[in-house]
Amino acid sequence: MNFEPSEDQQLLVASVARLFADHAAQSPPDPAAQWRDYREMGLLGLPFAEANGGLGGRPEDVMLVMEAFGRTLGRTPYASSVLLAGGLLETIGAKEMLAALIAGEGRPLLCLHEAGRRYRWDVSATAAQAVDGGWILSGAKIAVLDADVDSLLICPATTADGLGLFVVAPGTAGVTVERRPTPDGRHAANIGFDAVRLPPTAAIGDPVGNRAAVAAAVDGAIAATCAEMVGAMEKLLEITVDYLGTRQQFGVAIGSFQALQHRAADMLMAIEQARSMTIHAVSMLDMAAEERGAAVAASKALVNRAARFVGQQAIQLHGGMGLTSEYPAGAYFQRLTVLENLFGDTDHHLDVVEAAGGLRAA
Amino acid sequence: MELSFTDDERSFRAEVRRTLIDQVPERIRQAVREEKPLPRDWMIEAQQVLNRNGYATPHWPQAWGGRDWSAVKRAILAEEIDRAGVPKPLAFNVALVGPVIAAFGSDEQKRRFLAPIANLDMWFCQGFSEPGAGSDLASLKMAAVREGDQYRVSGQKIWTTYAHEADWIFCLVRTGQGGRQHEGISFLLIDLATPGIEVRPIRTIDGYHHLNEVFFDDVLVPAGNLVGDEGKGWDYARYLLGQERSSMGNVGFSRRRLDRVREIAGPLLDDPAYRRRLTWAEIELKALEITQMRVVANERPPSAGPDPKTSILKVKGGELLQTAAELLLDALGPEALTAGFPDGADDDLFQGLDARSGIVSAYFSSRKYSIFGGANEIQRNILAKAVLGMGRSA
Repeated sequence: MNFEPSEDQQLLVASVARLFADHAAQSPPDPAAQWRDYREMGLLGLPFAEANGGLGGRPEDVMLVMEAFGRTLGRTPYASSVLLAGGLLETIGAKEMLAALIAGEGRPLLCLHEAGRRYRWDVSATAAQAVDGGWILSGAKIAVLDADVDSLLICPATTADGLGLFVVAPGTAGVTVERRPTPDGRHAANIGFDAVRLPPTAAIGDPVGNRAAVAAAVDGAIAATCAEMVGAMEKLLEITVDYLGTRQQFGVAIGSFQALQHRAADMLMAIEQARSMTIHAVSMLDMAAEERGAAVAASKALVNRAARFVGQQAIQLHGGMGLTSEYPAGAYFQRLTVLENLFGDTDHHLDVVEAAGGLRAA
Repeated sequence: MELSFTDDERSFRAEVRRTLIDQVPERIRQAVREEKPLPRDWMIEAQQVLNRNGYATPHWPQAWGGRDWSAVKRAILAEEIDRAGVPKPLAFNVALVGPVIAAFGSDEQKRRFLAPIANLDMWFCQGFSEPGAGSDLASLKMAAVREGDQYRVSGQKIWTTYAHEADWIFCLVRTGQGGRQHEGISFLLIDLATPGIEVRPIRTIDGYHHLNEVFFDDVLVPAGNLVGDEGKGWDYARYLLGQERSSMGNVGFSRRRLDRVREIAGPLLDDPAYRRRLTWAEIELKALEITQMRVVANERPPSAGPDPKTSILKVKGGELLQTAAELLLDALGPEALTAGFPDGADDDLFQGLDARSGIVSAYFSSRKYSIFGGANEIQRNILAKAVLGMGRSA
């Protein structure tokens, strides 16, 4: 074991930290330019094998990038498009779409959730029927982060042969996109598919193996989300400790009070444990599905709990200032709350761990 | 970055596990698993097996029996010792006084003490705390006055684990009145057979006798038993606290307790509320295992003092042992009342107790983990000040 970033990794961290800080300072933000910057820095190809046109980065490289992303409250669809949808495309061997993504020319999004099914994406009420000359897709997906009317969508749907994956191009007739602001200032969409006619080529992957491919992509995205949350929590604790050292009451900085120091120490411990569990998730991504799934779920559960604690306590320690939207603590709390929900809340992931028989040692 | 164990580390773990199971008698490992207090000679027997394999003092200088193993390997070793139900090498000997003698002792002290300390031929206990000096250790008062080639020692130590089993005690004593409290403290080795020493038992809420008060009444100690320089004791104590951290989180011990939960909980494992508590404990333990490795992999010279992040291991590791003890106690249900409890009349309580009685005692004794070695409140002070850089307490 060795937890020190290599020289290459240190360079990567330094350059993405600089890039993300520049992006955070852009006013108004220029999303198209930011995505070009990602491409030029190689981030769009980072997680993919060289044989697939990627840079062959390791999951720990992605972890470092996402931690920096979390520290700066990044707003690009990097996790949703490159890590989640891109990860799926690589697993199922959809090389052309992957190449377009790496080239910055296509930005696919995976529509995972459906109303009333909470976080269970593996059984889909959305269905696709094979017809002469293609498919008819019917159903609805919800809470697709970063999706808009011009998004390229990948929609899982039940078919006669298993779980199908269907590519839906922007502007396809019968698709409705209802875009809503998320609590962290981004957007997500509820998407309806009303007897949408798709060409035969819309079906990608293989209905027998798609479920396992989506599971792998989701687990990778969860590990990356954990890293993003650790980055955000760490920055939020720094902001909070700074505030406690500045805010004067009773003639002293309130950070001199032991009750508040101990709260901050508890936040630190929660973050360090969350960081360890993120490392665990990342280190298990290459393992067999069940072991990987249990490890990733256990990690998300613990990181979620830490995020809720750190987020709520950061607001508490800021007092009234924590409730205002002009002070940065609130934005971190909002982001953490969104990420906590993403891919499953704490109870969901504990259920997954228990269904796998618990988290026992080897 | 290598976030998983290497092949070399995995095979080291397997070899250690095999060696421990092969060489440490099952009667000892079973007693440890059942959390019974071990007879003195069993403790010695187990440590001698460890020492024979280089497992008792791997972190010592190689000239004195240490091994050239990475901190990660030493942490694996510590974990496996606990997990296999082998008594840990006596911490007072191998983790505390041994390294101080190896670093600051005279050549004669090294020759006289180190090998017997490693082999538990000589049993040390720790004389730091006093009735008026707990968390505020530097306010200690026990006086050692130099008279020619000896010290005259008077005062009292308390919470002295195993003083009734030990041959020697290493003490922080006051040899001078320095300007600051930390000055004027010295590190002295005292033979418990010296006239004027009285050891009195403190019986604890777990029903057993591990703790003692030790009284010193005009005890004459050869000046040659002073370690290092007079007045430097506080520095040595800090060095000692910065020593071996590879088992600070007690990962293997918590793992053993949680394994036992699964063995005895039976139908409770299907109870959603109980099972969720166990699930959380297992997740916390996995996180702690990695936090432990992160802290030990960040090797610092002992002279740098304790890594403040060690406090996280202390707090989280202790909480987890307490949680695991609660899960075990709750698993017994009403049987906890009649599993057996030492009645306090007899020190030799080991024989004849129900295999589950240790669980009940362990629940009570586990409250110590958030108290000794710097209470959790002190650890939080350290984290706030040394890691987060927050101001002094108001």
